[in-house]
Amino acid sequence: MITQKNQTHTAIRSAIKERPVSTLDQKPARAEGRKDPWSQLLEKVGKNQDREAYHSLFQHFGPQIKYYAMANGLASHAEELVQEVFVSIWRKSSLYDWRKAAASTWIFTIARNQRIDMLRKMKRTSAEMTIETEDLWQIPGDNENEPVTSLHRLMSERRIRESLSHLPEEQTTVIAKVYMENKSHQMVANELNIPLGTVKSRVRLALNKLKVILQDQNV
Amino acid sequence: MNQHHPDSLTLMEFSAGNMTEPHALCIRLHLDQCSQCRSRVDMLDSLGAVMMEQQPQVSVSGSMFGTILDRIDNDPVEPEPLQHGRPLNPLQKLLGEDLTKLPWKRQLCDASVLDISDHFPDQTEQVVLQKLTAGGRAPAHTHRGQETTIVLQGAFSDNKGVFKQWDFVVLDEQDVHKPVALQGDDCITLSILSAPVKLTGMFTRLLNPFIR
Ligand SMILES: [Zn+2]
Repeated sequence: MITQKNQTHTAIRSAIKERPVSTLDQKPARAEGRKDPWSQLLEKVGKNQDREAYHSLFQHFGPQIKYYAMANGLASHAEELVQEVFVSIWRKSSLYDWRKAAASTWIFTIARNQRIDMLRKMKRTSAEMTIETEDLWQIPGDNENEPVTSLHRLMSERRIRESLSHLPEEQTTVIAKVYMENKSHQMVANELNIPLGTVKSRVRLALNKLKVILQDQNV
Repeated sequence: MNQHHPDSLTLMEFSAGNMTEPHALCIRLHLDQCSQCRSRVDMLDSLGAVMMEQQPQVSVSGSMFGTILDRIDNDPVEPEPLQHGRPLNPLQKLLGEDLTKLPWKRQLCDASVLDISDHFPDQTEQVVLQKLTAGGRAPAHTHRGQETTIVLQGAFSDNKGVFKQWDFVVLDEQDVHKPVALQGDDCITLSILSAPVKLTGMFTRLLNPFIR
């Protein structure tokens, strides 16, 4: 994947050391069946305040989150974001339930929320925020009778990881810009100098293959 | 079960955290009530996690983990405050539990509006609540930009179909929109207007609830 990165990342990339992307299989053994190793570690943090497990999560996700911050307009606050995310992981870890989300998904949503929160606080000078960041961006959780079973959800992360590698680069590029560079579909279209419709159809094709689209009216 | 959902691209922008606060509020209110869309956002969040994992990684400073441990040691977790009764949704937290008691401004005999844009100081969009009395009709209008609407109470119908509580709909310039509230309950919607609406009929500027 690293070789596919687009030019807009070069500024950031020149400032950083790239490391090989670790795959899950090299890390802690896939013990308890469906539970992935990071989810096991996160569960240990939540249940036993296990600092060794916390440190392993930090070593794995810290560098990812730092890149995420740099790409998303927080270049000069990247380390600050990593800190906020990890403090938040520690505080919320007792609520983590591996049946509801893989650790990487759970941590991604915390990174996203903290990124939004930090940008909001930087923009806002005096007035207090009228709506809490989490009230806007956190999906209402703890609903036990969800139609999509937990197994299904965990499978979906594994499946997304696998099928993403088969998508054409033009599709993954667009998705990466939306997730990693804080760009709307319109901004991606402007940047790549292609019509908005083309961006949307690339995303739709990708989401179809990733089976995210269930029943859109206008596919 | 809702009939009208945000499309996957909109949910993707939500999952990526790339939309304005009023739009995020509309999505969040829909997700509160729609398990189908919740599971789509779950999947999209997983897509975000996988995207993040596949980017280059940047090493963090050696002292950071120590700093984090200091922070969690000095600022222990406080237990979550107990919730009494049903939790309020984010809009109710902002405006109060009973939307019918708000200082509505009557515009036409059936239609009232309340502009809540001031609650979103960083946005250029206009954020309005609209209320149509049960069975009442709003003036026909088109939109110069885009209008994103979520139904908060009651239901309305127009040439595109029937929109019930928590349904989500996006209208743009091509749509001539002539909503009628269904009988039974006043219909309250939350709308975000990227540009003011334009009346199509014989109504004057004065009657247009959205042009100030
Ligand atoms: Zn839905």
